[in-house]
Amino acid sequence: MIDFENVQGAVSLLTSSAQAWIWLVPGLIIGLFFGSMPGISITMAMAIFLPMTLYMDFLPAIIFLTAIYTAAGFGGSVPAVLMNIPGTTSAVATTFDGYPMARSGRHNEALGTALAASVFGTLVSYLLLMFLIAPVSRVVLRLGPLEMFFVAVWGMLLIGSLAGRSMLRGLLAGTFGVLLGTVGFSSAGHIRGTMGVPWLFDGVPVIPAMMGLLAASQLIGLINTRYLIEDEASRKISFRKIVGGMRDAFRQRFIVVRGAIIGVLVGAIPGVGSSISNLLSYAETKRNAPDGDTFGTGNPKGVIAAESANSSSEGGAMATMLALGIPGGGATAILLAAFAMNNIVGGPSFIANQMDIVYAIIFANFAQALLLLIVGLGFVYIAGYVVRVPLRFLIPSVLVVATFGSYAIEGSAAGPITLVVFSVLGWAMMRYQYPVAATVVGLLLGRLLENELARVFQIGRQSIEGIFNYALTRPGALAILGLMLLSILVSAIAKERRRRRGIKLLDEQV
Amino acid sequence: MTDNFTRRDMLRMVSVGAAAATVASPAILRAQSGFPDRPINVVVPFNTGGYNDRLARASAPFVQEALGQPLNIINRGGAGALLGHTFFQQQPDDGYTICVSSFGPYIPLNILTQDAPFTVEDWHMINLPSQDYTLMATSADSGISSIDDFLERVRADPGSVSIGIQPASADLVNLTILMEHEGIDTDALTIVTYDGGGPARNAVAGDVVDVALVGGQGFIPLADQIRPLLVFGDETRDGWEAALIGDVMGDAAQFVSGSQRGWGVHSSFVENHPDRYQILLDAIETASKSDAMIESLEDQALATTWYGPEASNRQLRQTAALMEEYIDLLTGD
Repeated sequence: MIDFENVQGAVSLLTSSAQAWIWLVPGLIIGLFFGSMPGISITMAMAIFLPMTLYMDFLPAIIFLTAIYTAAGFGGSVPAVLMNIPGTTSAVATTFDGYPMARSGRHNEALGTALAASVFGTLVSYLLLMFLIAPVSRVVLRLGPLEMFFVAVWGMLLIGSLAGRSMLRGLLAGTFGVLLGTVGFSSAGHIRGTMGVPWLFDGVPVIPAMMGLLAASQLIGLINTRYLIEDEASRKISFRKIVGGMRDAFRQRFIVVRGAIIGVLVGAIPGVGSSISNLLSYAETKRNAPDGDTFGTGNPKGVIAAESANSSSEGGAMATMLALGIPGGGATAILLAAFAMNNIVGGPSFIANQMDIVYAIIFANFAQALLLLIVGLGFVYIAGYVVRVPLRFLIPSVLVVATFGSYAIEGSAAGPITLVVFSVLGWAMMRYQYPVAATVVGLLLGRLLENELARVFQIGRQSIEGIFNYALTRPGALAILGLMLLSILVSAIAKERRRRRGIKLLDEQV
Repeated sequence: MTDNFTRRDMLRMVSVGAAAATVASPAILRAQSGFPDRPINVVVPFNTGGYNDRLARASAPFVQEALGQPLNIINRGGAGALLGHTFFQQQPDDGYTICVSSFGPYIPLNILTQDAPFTVEDWHMINLPSQDYTLMATSADSGISSIDDFLERVRADPGSVSIGIQPASADLVNLTILMEHEGIDTDALTIVTYDGGGPARNAVAGDVVDVALVGGQGFIPLADQIRPLLVFGDETRDGWEAALIGDVMGDAAQFVSGSQRGWGVHSSFVENHPDRYQILLDAIETASKSDAMIESLEDQALATTWYGPEASNRQLRQTAALMEEYIDLLTGD
C-alpha cells in the first residue's frame, strides 16, 4: 500500500529546501491564536492568510495552510476549557468535561490533556491516511442517505447521556434543539419556522446560537462569583501539572485511537466532519467507560475523547480532498483554492500521478503535530492566566469578544442578535434545570437527521415497503445500524455486570 | 461676530468660496465631474470561494485599471442570494455599488419563491460571460448507458430510477420540460432532493442516486467518476460526450440555462446617470476584451466572453419568463 519510491521522492521534496519548513511555526502560531478566538473559525483563519500563499511555492503554501488548520483545530479547545465557549462547532464535546475540570482548579491538567490528545489524534489520523487514502475515498462517496441517517441517530444517543438527573427534561431539550435545527429551507425546498425573517432562511446561525447557549448563559450565572476558580490556591499556572495532564492522555491510548478512527471516518464524509465526530467519540467513550457516571463533572477521559476525534477529522477531510477533489468543509475548500492557484486539481489523477506530493503533505503534517506539542505548550501556559483574571473583568471582555465574533462569522447583525436571544434562552434553561448541551447537540444534528430521513423517504417513494426494500439494498447502512446496536448492548451488559459486582461486593462486606 | 451675518449671507459666502475653490483647483473640478472619484463596491451575494466570488476577485485588477478606481468586493451570502440581492437594491443607484452574481436563475427564484422585494425590471445586466448548463449524468459504474436507455427504464418500470436534483432549480424545470415532451408522468420519477449542487453531484458519483441533473461545470473535477447522458444546450460543452437536448426534443427544444453569471447594476442607475453608466460599461467591456484579463481568467477556469448588455438582458428575461411558466413546480404546490 505504500509506494517507497514516492516516499523517497517526498523526503527529497521536503529536505531540498528550507522554504517548506520556515512557514511551519508561524502557521501554527497563527492557527492557535485565531482558533482560540471565539467566533473566528478555522476556515476564516485560513481564508485570511490564503492571499499570502500567492507568493510561496506550492508545497510551502500547502504546509503553511495545513499548519494553520492543525493548530486552529486545537486552538478551539482553549476557550472551550477555560470559558465553556466552543469557539468552533468541533469543540462542543470538549466543554462537557474540560470546563468542569477548569472550574475545579484542574485547568492545567485539562489544557495539557486536550493538547496531547489533539496531537496524538492528528498523528494517528495521518498515519491512517497514509495507508488508507485510496480505500477511504472509495467508501466515502458510496454513503447514501440511510447510512448518514444512522450516523446522525448514533450522535443523537448522546442526548440521553447529557440529560443529567431528569431524562424527560433532557429529551425535551434535545427535541427542542432538533426543531431549531430544522428552521429554514429544507432540502426539499420548503421554508419552515423563519417567521418571515430572511436571515433565518439558511437556518439558525449555529455558532452564535451555540456560544449563547453554552457560554453566555454560563457567564451570566457566574455574575456573583469573583473568580472562575473559587479556591485561590488552585489558581496557579503549573507547567508540571500541564505535562501531567499530557501524560494522562498518552495513558488512555485506547480512547485516543478510537477517537482517531471515528474522527477519520466521520471527517472523511463531505459536509459532516469534526462537528459530529467529537460528539460521537464522546458518546462512545462515556457509554463504555467504567466511570461513565462521572462524565460531565470533569473527567479527563471526556476531554481526550472529544479532542482526539476533532483533530483527527482533519486527516479524514484531507483524504476526501486529495483523493476525490471534493472539499468536505470550509477548510479543505480553502486548500483546494490554494491547489487551484498553483494549477493543481485534486482528485484520482492527482493521487495517481503525484503521490510524492501527497506523502510530502502527510510527512509535513507529522512534523506539524510534533511541533504543535511544543508551540501549544507555550500557548496553553500563557492562556491559562485567564483563570487569574477577576470575573468582573473577564465576563464583560468575553461577552464583547463573543459579540464581535458572532458578527464576524455572519457578516451582519443577525449574529449578535442570535447570540443575545440564545444567551437569554440558555440562562432560562439552566435556571429551570434543562440541559443546554442537549439542545446544542440537537441543533448540530437536526438538519442532517431531517434531510437524510427525507431522502430515504423520497427513495422509498413514501411507503414503508419501499423504504424497507431500499434498506435491504444498503448493506453498509445495516452494518452501521448493527454496530450501533452492538455498542449499546455491550455497554448495557458491562453496566449490568458492574452493578452485580457492586452488589456482590456489598454482600461480602455485610 | 456671527450676529452681523444673516444665514443668507453665510450661504452666499460659502457658495462663492466653493466656486472660487473649484475654479482655482482643476483637480477638484475633475473629481466632481469625473465618475468614478472613489472606490466602487462590488456586492457578491455568495460566500467567498464560489464561482461569483472568484470571478469578481479575478476580474477586479483589470476592471479597476480601466476604471481608474479600486474595486472593493463585499460578500453577502445566504438564503439563495436573496440577502445579497436585497442588500444591493438597497444601496444608492449612483454607480458606486455594482453586483456580480448568478442573476439567472437566482433573481427569478428570489422573486417567484421567496417573495423578494424587487422585480426583474429593477435589474440591468452589463454582461453575463458565464453561462452554466444542466447536465444529466449517471455514475460511471451504473448500468444506464445513454439518455434513451434512461427514458426506456423510466417507461418500463415507473419509480425504478432515482434522480438527484435541487428543488426550485433550473434543472428541475428542464427535467419537467423533457418529461412533458416524452409524455412521461412526473409521478414515474423518484425525485431525491439535495440542498446544493455539490451534494447532488457527490451522490450520483457514488451511485447513491441513479442519475442527477445539476450544473455541468461543477462536474468537471468528477469527470472520471460519472457518465454524461444529456447536455441541456445548443452545442456540446466542456467536452462531454453526451447527447444534446436538441437530439431528443428536436429543433423546437426548450430549456432554461443554468447559472447566468456576470455583472449587473440597478436599472434606475442606467436611466438616471447615462453618462456614468457608459463609463462603467466601457471599462468592463475594455477589460473583458483585453488579452491580459482573458489569459488570467482562463487559467482559473473563469469565463470572459463579451455578450454585451442587450444579449445579457434578453437572456435573463427569457430565463425569468420560462421559470414563471413553471412557477407551480418551483414553489412545490
